[in-house]
Amino acid sequence: MTVDETFYLDLAQQCVQRAVAAGAEWCDVQAGTARDITVTIEKTGIKNADAGRGEAIAIRAYVGGGMGYASVTGRERPTIDDAVDRAVALAKEATPDPDFRRLPDPQPQAEVEGIFDDAVAGLRVEQVVRMAVANIEAARALEPDVNLSGSVSLAVGHGALASSTGVALTQRTTDISASLAALLRCNGDTGYFYEFDFGRNLADCSLEDVSVGAVEGARRFLGARRIGSGRRTLVLGPLAAYGFLGQLLASASAESVQRGRSFLCGKEGEAIADVCLTVVDDGLVPRGLRSGAHDGEGTARRPLTVIEEGRLVSLLHNSYTAGKAGTESTGHGTHAGGIGPTNLRPLLGTRAAADLLAEVDDGIYLESGEIRPDPASGDISASIDFGFLIENGERVHPVESAMLGGNVFDLLERLDAVSSDAREEPGILMPTLRIHDVQIAGSE
Amino acid sequence: MDELAAHLCDVAKRHGVDFADVRVVQRDGESVLVQDGRADKLATSADRGVGVRVLVGKAWGFASADSLQRDRGEQCVDDAIALAKASEAVVTDPARMAAAEPVETESRSDPDVMPGEMPIKEKIDRLLEYERAGRGAADNGHQIVNSIVSYAEAWHQETLANTAGTRIQSSGSRAVVTTLFVATDGSILQRGTEHRGIVGGAELLRQTDPDAFSVRAARKALAALDAKPAPAGRFTVVFHPSITGLLVHEALGHNAEGDAVWAGESILEGRLGDTIASPAVSVYDDSTLPGRFGSFAYDSEGTPGRRRPIIEEGRLVAFLHSLETAAKFDTEPTGSARAESYDCRPIVRMSNTFLEPAGADSGVPLAEMFRGVERGIYLEDGHWGYVFVQKGQFICHAGQAHMIEHGEVGEPLRDVSISSLTLDTLQNIDAVGDDFEMEMPGMCGKEGQSAPIDCGGPHVRVQDVVVGGQHTL
Repeated sequence: MTVDETFYLDLAQQCVQRAVAAGAEWCDVQAGTARDITVTIEKTGIKNADAGRGEAIAIRAYVGGGMGYASVTGRERPTIDDAVDRAVALAKEATPDPDFRRLPDPQPQAEVEGIFDDAVAGLRVEQVVRMAVANIEAARALEPDVNLSGSVSLAVGHGALASSTGVALTQRTTDISASLAALLRCNGDTGYFYEFDFGRNLADCSLEDVSVGAVEGARRFLGARRIGSGRRTLVLGPLAAYGFLGQLLASASAESVQRGRSFLCGKEGEAIADVCLTVVDDGLVPRGLRSGAHDGEGTARRPLTVIEEGRLVSLLHNSYTAGKAGTESTGHGTHAGGIGPTNLRPLLGTRAAADLLAEVDDGIYLESGEIRPDPASGDISASIDFGFLIENGERVHPVESAMLGGNVFDLLERLDAVSSDAREEPGILMPTLRIHDVQIAGSE
Repeated sequence: MDELAAHLCDVAKRHGVDFADVRVVQRDGESVLVQDGRADKLATSADRGVGVRVLVGKAWGFASADSLQRDRGEQCVDDAIALAKASEAVVTDPARMAAAEPVETESRSDPDVMPGEMPIKEKIDRLLEYERAGRGAADNGHQIVNSIVSYAEAWHQETLANTAGTRIQSSGSRAVVTTLFVATDGSILQRGTEHRGIVGGAELLRQTDPDAFSVRAARKALAALDAKPAPAGRFTVVFHPSITGLLVHEALGHNAEGDAVWAGESILEGRLGDTIASPAVSVYDDSTLPGRFGSFAYDSEGTPGRRRPIIEEGRLVAFLHSLETAAKFDTEPTGSARAESYDCRPIVRMSNTFLEPAGADSGVPLAEMFRGVERGIYLEDGHWGYVFVQKGQFICHAGQAHMIEHGEVGEPLRDVSISSLTLDTLQNIDAVGDDFEMEMPGMCGKEGQSAPIDCGGPHVRVQDVVVGGQHTL
């Protein structure tokens, strides 16, 4: 445990003691520090270098199941004590909640490798600037007239969690990211694409891939044309598939289902997708972007199969929803009381993405973009922001002013393949998905 | 706070920077969430800190710390200078600043109900009243299965000081109340939402009438149960003022932000003075409108807020500027530099953006807009939108819509988005109403920062809009 982690754990435990003395029946406190450096790229040059340092403490107190929450920045003790007292006072004002059972007990925690990297933590601003410059130079070597924007940034955090049940945990993390948006304008035509790479470790963030990906993407999106409306096969490239499945995973929040506001209400145990879809959420993947030994409440993380061969087999729980349902928390709680997924790991199929695309006579390839179902109805009405027309197994040209529509269950039912190959970001797998018979709205 | 800001400016000056500004911010918030008949979550927050921006030669450095202690502030000055020096040798687009007149003033915007004046119990009771009223809107055969009403207020005090001599102490608050109802007929679920936001405090809860707020949201959810999915394709679309607001904010406003134009990303680069819209279109951004969610007296660089024309009678007349983009375009700053808090740099942002209604003599009444439309869509209840300024392509999402058939408003539609190209859409506006509504208070995201904004306008009719529906007609 570092000096910082010892300090924050001690502080968190003192806050818990104060809250309990003030009348909290249950309490947990998260305390930590973070620093970050961001170098911004604009107009194909370095625009800014920014740095921030912060400390934050968040107190969650319960009285009769009602929750009071207080957050405060800085380390001035009177301010922190005041926040603790306010959290308890608010808990006393909240409506008692018989569905609240208890906060998690201390439990064995797996060690997750590779979520803190001394190489990232030790980076100086001059090195981050050099990385951003290298990014620009690599992109300009490919395309001298490209207009670039983006950033290179890092964050280093040390934190602790303590609770009235005896939870006493510390964690330290690093994150590094590089992003680049490439814009090409020639003869009234525009090609634009955004590429990124994230990692917990310096070795997992490839600047060259970002530069090449952005420039080649911008070149691909030159020459966009309008298309007509009709029903077509929709191929979701890795980024688009991640967006779609990520929304689906987030929708599996037990809170939304228990409250009756999710399109997944009443679907647990039922088939919601083609049998080719299996989705695992795994917060323990070494080096994973969303990995950690425990969630925001101290519950140990574990791999969780959410969709198995098309069937919704599990919801994501925190301690509150698990208590209400009489089950165990799945380790997806946030400290503020919410629920969130970790690393998305779809089970890969048996055929390569290129083969899936080659079989499409008339379709749309969505390289990147959001397909966000309405949280209640599951209806989808989304823009095809980065898409291509597919004809006879080939991507023939980018499309403009086109949209897709349907319902999330229609799309999941018409899913006919998950590719055997996938883009990998640390901890996360992004295969290609193919969905047949999707309504496309064009402007031709 | 004032002394700290002035001191840090002096420290920066002693280090020989070309320019520095310091923002010392103290922000306190309180929120109440009522759900399914219970005050579910009560929260409070306290955030204070300092942000220092320096210009050294041709490079910027910015550093922040969440402390009001003098030594932490001095460390920020050192860090910001080191950051600027670290990048100075590789900066290719030298930073510049417009010479702004120093301003020394105090700008208070006290709410009618000061923070802490209304007991939290009274806030809870008011939210429960909203919730009960909304749930009472359920009719036979339809049921409300989930209801959320939330209220949040944030009070800020800020001191801005810069090396040119500006010293502005400002304080004020914003308040927001939102509601969500989820209804079912036993087979499907639908949502209805409403939100209100003001520059002010808990008086918002006294001003907001349940019938116009929670009952309206619940009725939207209930009505959507009987609505059909929208058709797909290209249609004539009549925009409700909430959609007009999304259009001018997303499609036009972001493209008119001076930093995007200077960076060569905006589709409006090089178009100043050109006719880019139908002659009936005039668009303004105005941060001086009293009480509006996007209003402010001074921006985060100390430039007074103002009414800023963007398009007048179809012609692109100006962009929105910070001190830096104004210098680069050799024009006046427009008071459009906003920073979310002490830990963010000021960037060019909108405030309250709207399409000006047509005059009484030229405005087209709503009923007239439908007339002559053989088959179209009336798009209502604007929810959200986004834009790719680089491509000039935007999307707007609506919670409600109706078919227009043979010149009349027809059957209800649910949950539909539209997408189009900004310049095509502005040219394709062929009718502008003489009505006006600006009730879209919200938070706009850009470069990781949120800024409170509002947007609106009259009803407008637009030809050739792509609708992302579920079937073709």
